[in-house]
Amino acid sequence: MSFLIRTKKKFSRVIRALFKKKQMRIGIYGPPNAGKTTLSNRIVRDWTGDAVGPVSEIPHETRRARRKEGVKISDENGNSITIDVVDTPGVTTKIDYKEFLEYGIEQDEAIIRAREATEGVAEAMHWLREDIDGVIYMLDSTQDPFIQVNIMLVGIIESRDLPVIIIANKNDLPDAAPGRIKSAFPQHPVISISGLEGNNVEELYEKMIEYFG
Amino acid sequence: MPHKCTQCGREFKEGSTEILKGCPSCGGKKFFYIKKDDIHKDILEEKSIKKIAEEKKEEIIEIKPEAKEKTEIYDRIESIRVVSPGSYELNIDKLAKGDEMIMQMGTDDKYIVDILSMAKPRKDKKKRK
Repeated sequence: MSFLIRTKKKFSRVIRALFKKKQMRIGIYGPPNAGKTTLSNRIVRDWTGDAVGPVSEIPHETRRARRKEGVKISDENGNSITIDVVDTPGVTTKIDYKEFLEYGIEQDEAIIRAREATEGVAEAMHWLREDIDGVIYMLDSTQDPFIQVNIMLVGIIESRDLPVIIIANKNDLPDAAPGRIKSAFPQHPVISISGLEGNNVEELYEKMIEYFG
Repeated sequence: MPHKCTQCGREFKEGSTEILKGCPSCGGKKFFYIKKDDIHKDILEEKSIKKIAEEKKEEIIEIKPEAKEKTEIYDRIESIRVVSPGSYELNIDKLAKGDEMIMQMGTDDKYIVDILSMAKPRKDKKKRK
Protein backbone atom coordinates (compact mmCIF):
# COMPACT_ATOMS: atom_id res chain seq x y z
CA MET A 1 0.00 0.00 0.00
CA SER A 2 2.70 2.47 1.00
CA PHE A 3 4.60 1.42 -2.10
CA LEU A 4 1.67 2.57 -4.20
CA ILE A 5 1.45 5.86 -2.36
CA ARG A 6 5.14 6.45 -2.77
CA THR A 7 5.03 5.63 -6.46
CA LYS A 8 2.09 7.95 -6.88
CA LYS A 9 3.93 10.67 -5.03
CA LYS A 10 7.02 10.24 -7.15
CA PHE A 11 4.88 10.46 -10.25
CA SER A 12 3.18 13.60 -9.15
CA ARG A 13 6.53 15.07 -8.23
CA VAL A 14 7.85 14.38 -11.73
CA ILE A 15 4.74 15.88 -13.28
CA ARG A 16 5.03 18.92 -11.05
CA ALA A 17 8.66 19.33 -11.99
CA LEU A 18 7.71 19.14 -15.65
CA PHE A 19 5.13 21.88 -15.39
CA LYS A 20 7.26 23.86 -12.96
CA LYS A 21 4.24 24.77 -10.95
CA LYS A 22 5.42 25.73 -7.54
CA GLN A 23 2.72 25.83 -4.96
CA MET A 24 3.14 26.23 -1.28
CA ARG A 25 1.98 23.12 0.45
CA ILE A 26 0.48 24.04 3.79
CA GLY A 27 0.08 21.30 6.36
CA ILE A 28 -2.52 21.66 9.06
CA TYR A 29 -1.04 20.01 12.12
CA GLY A 30 -2.01 19.69 15.74
CA PRO A 31 -3.20 17.30 18.43
CA PRO A 32 -6.34 15.20 17.89
CA ASN A 33 -9.68 17.02 18.10
CA ALA A 34 -8.18 20.48 17.72
CA GLY A 35 -10.39 21.16 14.68
CA LYS A 36 -7.94 20.58 11.85
CA THR A 37 -10.45 19.04 9.48
CA THR A 38 -13.09 21.62 10.37
CA LEU A 39 -10.68 24.40 9.43
CA SER A 40 -9.48 22.60 6.28
CA ASN A 41 -13.08 22.19 5.22
CA ARG A 42 -13.73 25.86 5.86
CA ILE A 43 -10.70 27.04 3.91
CA VAL A 44 -11.44 24.73 1.02
CA ARG A 45 -15.18 25.50 1.04
CA ASP A 46 -14.60 29.25 1.25
CA TRP A 47 -12.29 29.30 -1.72
CA THR A 48 -13.25 26.33 -3.92
CA GLY A 49 -16.66 25.14 -2.71
CA ASP A 50 -15.46 21.61 -1.97
CA ALA A 51 -14.81 19.80 1.29
CA VAL A 52 -11.82 17.86 2.53
CA GLY A 53 -13.20 15.24 4.85
CA PRO A 54 -15.69 14.29 7.53
CA VAL A 55 -15.42 15.58 11.09
CA SER A 56 -16.51 14.05 14.37
CA GLU A 57 -16.07 14.53 18.07
CA ILE A 58 -14.32 11.18 18.37
CA PRO A 59 -10.56 11.68 18.35
CA HIS A 60 -8.62 10.42 15.32
CA GLU A 61 -11.45 10.85 12.84
CA THR A 62 -8.85 11.78 10.24
CA ARG A 63 -6.47 8.88 9.91
CA ARG A 64 -5.03 9.58 6.49
CA ALA A 65 -3.59 12.87 5.34
CA ARG A 66 -5.97 14.51 2.89
CA ARG A 67 -4.96 17.04 0.33
CA LYS A 68 -6.72 19.69 -1.68
CA GLU A 69 -4.61 21.21 -4.39
CA GLY A 70 -4.66 24.65 -5.87
CA VAL A 71 -6.66 26.57 -3.30
CA LYS A 72 -6.42 30.24 -4.17
CA ILE A 73 -6.79 32.64 -1.27
CA SER A 74 -7.03 36.36 -1.94
CA ASP A 75 -7.65 39.54 0.02
CA GLU A 76 -9.37 42.83 -0.76
CA ASN A 77 -6.16 44.45 -1.94
CA GLY A 78 -5.76 41.89 -4.69
CA ASN A 79 -2.97 39.96 -3.00
CA SER A 80 -3.32 36.23 -3.30
CA ILE A 81 -1.58 32.91 -2.83
CA THR A 82 -2.32 29.52 -4.24
CA ILE A 83 -1.70 26.70 -1.84
CA ASP A 84 -2.24 23.01 -1.41
CA VAL A 85 -4.06 22.36 1.83
CA VAL A 86 -2.98 19.18 3.60
CA ASP A 87 -5.21 18.04 6.42
CA THR A 88 -3.25 15.67 8.64
CA PRO A 89 -4.20 13.16 11.31
CA GLY A 90 -3.88 14.42 14.87
CA VAL A 91 -0.40 13.95 16.27
CA THR A 92 -0.12 12.35 19.67
CA THR A 93 2.29 10.11 21.52
CA LYS A 94 -0.21 7.61 22.88
CA ILE A 95 -3.04 5.91 21.09
CA ASP A 96 -5.15 3.42 22.97
CA TYR A 97 -8.23 1.79 21.52
CA LYS A 98 -9.90 1.95 24.95
CA GLU A 99 -10.44 5.69 24.61
CA PHE A 100 -12.67 5.03 21.59
CA LEU A 101 -14.85 2.61 23.52
CA GLU A 102 -16.22 5.53 25.51
CA TYR A 103 -17.72 6.87 22.31
CA GLY A 104 -19.67 3.68 21.79
CA ILE A 105 -17.35 2.14 19.22
CA GLU A 106 -17.13 -1.66 19.30
CA GLN A 107 -13.86 -3.15 20.47
CA ASP A 108 -12.86 -4.67 17.13
CA GLU A 109 -13.51 -1.42 15.35
CA ALA A 110 -11.71 0.58 18.05
CA ILE A 111 -8.60 -1.57 17.67
CA ILE A 112 -8.63 -1.01 13.91
CA ARG A 113 -9.15 2.70 14.48
CA ALA A 114 -6.15 2.81 16.83
CA ARG A 115 -3.99 1.03 14.29
CA GLU A 116 -5.04 3.36 11.50
CA ALA A 117 -4.48 6.38 13.74
CA THR A 118 -0.95 5.14 14.47
CA GLU A 119 -0.27 4.80 10.76
CA GLY A 120 -1.77 8.24 10.31
CA VAL A 121 0.65 9.86 12.76
CA ALA A 122 3.59 8.17 11.05
CA GLU A 123 2.27 9.42 7.74
CA ALA A 124 1.77 12.96 9.04
CA MET A 125 5.37 13.02 10.28
CA HIS A 126 6.53 11.68 6.95
CA TRP A 127 4.74 14.51 5.14
CA LEU A 128 6.27 17.04 7.48
CA ARG A 129 9.69 15.78 6.51
CA GLU A 130 9.29 15.77 2.78
CA ASP A 131 6.43 17.69 1.36
CA ILE A 132 5.33 20.54 3.54
CA ASP A 133 6.38 24.14 2.94
CA GLY A 134 4.44 25.81 5.71
CA VAL A 135 2.43 24.81 8.75
CA ILE A 136 -0.79 25.90 10.35
CA TYR A 137 -0.61 24.55 13.88
CA MET A 138 -4.05 24.10 15.38
CA LEU A 139 -4.71 24.18 19.08
CA ASP A 140 -7.92 23.88 21.01
CA SER A 141 -7.92 27.04 23.13
CA THR A 142 -10.00 25.37 25.83
CA GLN A 143 -7.12 22.96 26.44
CA ASP A 144 -3.72 23.38 28.03
CA PRO A 145 -1.25 24.26 25.27
CA PHE A 146 1.77 23.25 27.34
CA ILE A 147 1.51 19.55 26.61
CA GLN A 148 4.65 17.85 25.46
CA VAL A 149 3.37 16.96 22.01
CA ASN A 150 2.81 20.63 21.17
CA ILE A 151 6.19 21.78 22.40
CA MET A 152 7.84 18.86 20.66
CA LEU A 153 6.05 19.22 17.35
CA VAL A 154 6.45 22.98 17.16
CA GLY A 155 10.14 22.38 17.92
CA ILE A 156 10.37 19.89 15.05
CA ILE A 157 8.66 22.35 12.70
CA GLU A 158 11.04 25.13 13.80
CA SER A 159 14.05 22.89 13.28
CA ARG A 160 12.97 22.52 9.65
CA ASP A 161 12.74 26.28 9.19
CA LEU A 162 9.12 26.06 8.14
CA PRO A 163 6.93 29.13 8.58
CA VAL A 164 4.22 28.41 11.12
CA ILE A 165 0.99 30.15 12.07
CA ILE A 166 -0.51 29.01 15.34
CA ILE A 167 -4.25 28.95 15.67
CA ALA A 168 -6.12 29.19 18.94
CA ASN A 169 -9.25 27.45 17.76
CA LYS A 170 -12.73 27.14 19.27
CA ASN A 171 -12.90 30.76 20.44
CA ASP A 172 -16.70 30.42 20.35
CA LEU A 173 -16.59 28.29 23.49
CA PRO A 174 -16.99 30.05 26.86
CA ASP A 175 -13.85 28.57 28.44
CA ALA A 176 -11.60 29.38 25.51
CA ALA A 177 -8.33 30.97 26.60
CA PRO A 178 -6.38 32.07 23.51
CA GLY A 179 -4.11 34.21 25.71
CA ARG A 180 -2.62 31.07 27.15
CA ILE A 181 -1.62 29.91 23.67
CA LYS A 182 -0.16 33.32 22.84
CA SER A 183 2.04 33.18 25.90
CA ALA A 184 3.04 29.59 25.13
CA PHE A 185 4.30 30.40 21.64
CA PRO A 186 5.42 34.05 21.61
CA GLN A 187 7.82 33.38 18.73
CA HIS A 188 5.02 32.72 16.24
CA PRO A 189 1.93 34.60 15.11
CA VAL A 190 -1.12 33.34 17.00
CA ILE A 191 -4.61 33.89 15.62
CA SER A 192 -7.73 33.19 17.61
CA ILE A 193 -10.57 31.82 15.48
CA SER A 194 -13.52 29.50 15.47
CA GLY A 195 -13.24 27.11 12.57
CA LEU A 196 -16.76 25.94 13.23
CA GLU A 197 -18.45 29.34 13.43
CA GLY A 198 -16.06 31.13 11.11
CA ASN A 199 -15.12 33.81 13.66
CA ASN A 200 -12.09 35.79 12.61
CA VAL A 201 -11.07 33.53 9.71
CA GLU A 202 -10.53 36.62 7.55
CA GLU A 203 -7.62 37.58 9.77
CA LEU A 204 -6.21 34.10 9.26
CA TYR A 205 -6.50 34.41 5.47
CA GLU A 206 -4.72 37.76 5.54
CA LYS A 207 -2.00 36.34 7.72
CA MET A 208 -1.62 33.34 5.41
CA ILE A 209 -1.17 35.60 2.39
CA GLU A 210 1.36 37.69 4.28
CA TYR A 211 3.20 34.82 5.87
CA PHE A 212 3.18 32.08 3.25
CA GLY A 213 3.11 34.31 0.19
CA MET B 1 -4.95 -15.85 69.87
CA PRO B 2 -3.59 -13.14 67.62
CA HIS B 3 -1.05 -13.93 64.93
CA LYS B 4 2.22 -12.36 64.06
CA CYS B 5 4.16 -12.63 60.85
CA THR B 6 7.58 -14.16 61.44
CA GLN B 7 9.06 -12.24 58.58
CA CYS B 8 8.02 -8.65 59.11
CA GLY B 9 6.40 -8.68 62.52
CA ARG B 10 3.01 -7.48 61.42
CA GLU B 11 0.30 -8.49 63.82
CA PHE B 12 -3.13 -9.77 62.97
CA LYS B 13 -6.32 -10.16 64.93
CA GLU B 14 -7.42 -13.53 66.13
CA GLY B 15 -8.96 -15.57 63.34
CA SER B 16 -7.90 -13.10 60.70
CA THR B 17 -8.55 -14.49 57.24
CA GLU B 18 -6.04 -12.14 55.68
CA ILE B 19 -3.14 -14.38 56.58
CA LEU B 20 -4.53 -17.30 54.57
CA LYS B 21 -3.02 -15.79 51.46
CA GLY B 22 0.22 -14.82 53.15
CA CYS B 23 1.16 -11.61 54.91
CA PRO B 24 -0.23 -8.65 52.94
CA SER B 25 2.83 -6.59 53.86
CA CYS B 26 5.69 -8.89 53.02
CA GLY B 27 4.13 -12.01 51.55
CA GLY B 28 5.50 -14.16 54.35
CA LYS B 29 3.82 -17.52 54.84
CA LYS B 30 4.81 -18.24 58.43
CA PHE B 31 2.97 -16.86 61.42
CA PHE B 32 3.12 -17.57 65.06
CA TYR B 33 0.60 -17.09 67.80
CA ILE B 34 1.20 -14.34 70.27
CA LYS B 35 -0.40 -13.67 73.57
CA LYS B 36 -3.14 -11.10 73.56
CA ASP B 37 -1.11 -9.05 76.03
CA ASP B 38 1.87 -9.14 73.74
CA ILE B 39 0.06 -7.52 70.85
CA HIS B 40 1.72 -4.27 69.82
CA LYS B 41 4.44 -5.03 72.35
CA ASP B 42 7.22 -4.32 69.90
CA ILE B 43 5.69 -1.00 69.01
CA LEU B 44 4.90 -0.02 72.58
CA GLU B 45 8.40 -0.80 73.67
CA GLU B 46 9.63 1.26 70.72
CA LYS B 47 11.85 -1.48 69.56
CA SER B 48 13.79 -0.63 66.48
CA ILE B 49 13.82 -2.97 63.51
CA LYS B 50 17.45 -3.63 64.31
CA LYS B 51 16.64 -4.77 67.82
CA ILE B 52 13.85 -7.03 66.68
CA ALA B 53 16.19 -8.55 64.14
CA GLU B 54 18.78 -9.12 66.84
CA GLU B 55 16.25 -10.82 69.05
CA LYS B 56 15.08 -13.03 66.27
CA LYS B 57 18.67 -13.56 65.12
CA GLU B 58 17.74 -12.80 61.54
CA GLU B 59 19.18 -10.50 58.98
CA ILE B 60 17.30 -7.42 57.94
CA ILE B 61 16.03 -7.84 54.46
CA GLU B 62 15.17 -4.64 52.79
CA ILE B 63 12.86 -4.82 49.85
CA LYS B 64 13.44 -1.86 47.65
CA PRO B 65 10.67 -0.84 45.32
CA GLU B 66 11.62 -1.37 41.71
CA ALA B 67 13.12 1.71 40.22
CA LYS B 68 10.63 3.29 37.86
CA GLU B 69 11.48 3.39 34.22
CA LYS B 70 12.76 6.85 33.66
CA THR B 71 13.30 6.90 29.91
CA GLU B 72 11.12 9.53 28.41
CA ILE B 73 9.35 8.48 25.27
CA TYR B 74 11.54 10.84 23.28
CA ASP B 75 14.76 9.25 24.47
CA ARG B 76 13.77 5.79 23.46
CA ILE B 77 15.16 3.91 20.55
CA GLU B 78 11.90 2.77 18.98
CA SER B 79 9.65 4.78 16.71
CA ILE B 80 6.51 2.94 17.70
CA ARG B 81 5.84 0.78 20.71
CA VAL B 82 2.99 -1.67 20.50
CA VAL B 83 1.98 -1.88 24.15
CA SER B 84 -0.81 -4.31 23.35
CA PRO B 85 -3.02 -4.82 20.31
CA GLY B 86 -4.75 -1.51 19.73
CA SER B 87 -2.56 0.42 22.14
CA TYR B 88 0.42 2.30 20.81
CA GLU B 89 3.04 4.75 21.95
CA LEU B 90 4.54 6.92 19.26
CA ASN B 91 7.88 8.61 19.29
CA ILE B 92 7.10 11.58 17.07
CA ASP B 93 10.65 12.85 17.18
CA LYS B 94 11.94 9.59 15.72
CA LEU B 95 9.15 9.54 13.19
CA ALA B 96 9.98 13.09 12.13
CA LYS B 97 13.64 12.31 11.65
CA GLY B 98 13.38 9.48 9.20
CA ASP B 99 11.64 6.50 7.74
CA GLU B 100 13.68 4.08 9.81
CA MET B 101 11.28 1.96 11.74
CA ILE B 102 12.03 0.25 14.99
CA MET B 103 9.05 -1.19 16.75
CA GLN B 104 8.94 -2.47 20.26
CA MET B 105 6.51 -5.22 21.04
CA GLY B 106 5.01 -5.10 24.51
CA THR B 107 6.91 -3.65 27.38
CA ASP B 108 9.71 -6.22 27.26
CA ASP B 109 12.81 -5.47 25.30
CA LYS B 110 11.53 -7.12 22.18
CA TYR B 111 12.08 -5.19 19.01
CA ILE B 112 11.27 -5.46 15.36
CA VAL B 113 13.76 -3.68 13.18
CA ASP B 114 12.65 -2.82 9.67
CA ILE B 115 15.96 -3.09 7.83
CA LEU B 116 14.42 -2.23 4.48
CA SER B 117 13.37 1.16 5.77
CA MET B 118 16.93 1.87 6.84
CA ALA B 119 18.56 0.83 3.61
CA LYS B 120 16.82 3.48 1.55
CA PRO B 121 19.24 6.01 0.13
CA ARG B 122 19.07 9.38 1.75
CA LYS B 123 17.63 11.95 -0.56
CA ASP B 124 19.74 14.90 -1.42
CA LYS B 125 17.64 17.43 0.36
CA LYS B 126 17.83 21.01 -0.63
CA LYS B 127 17.09 23.37 2.12
CA ARG B 128 13.89 25.20 1.51
CA LYS B 129 13.56 28.83 2.23
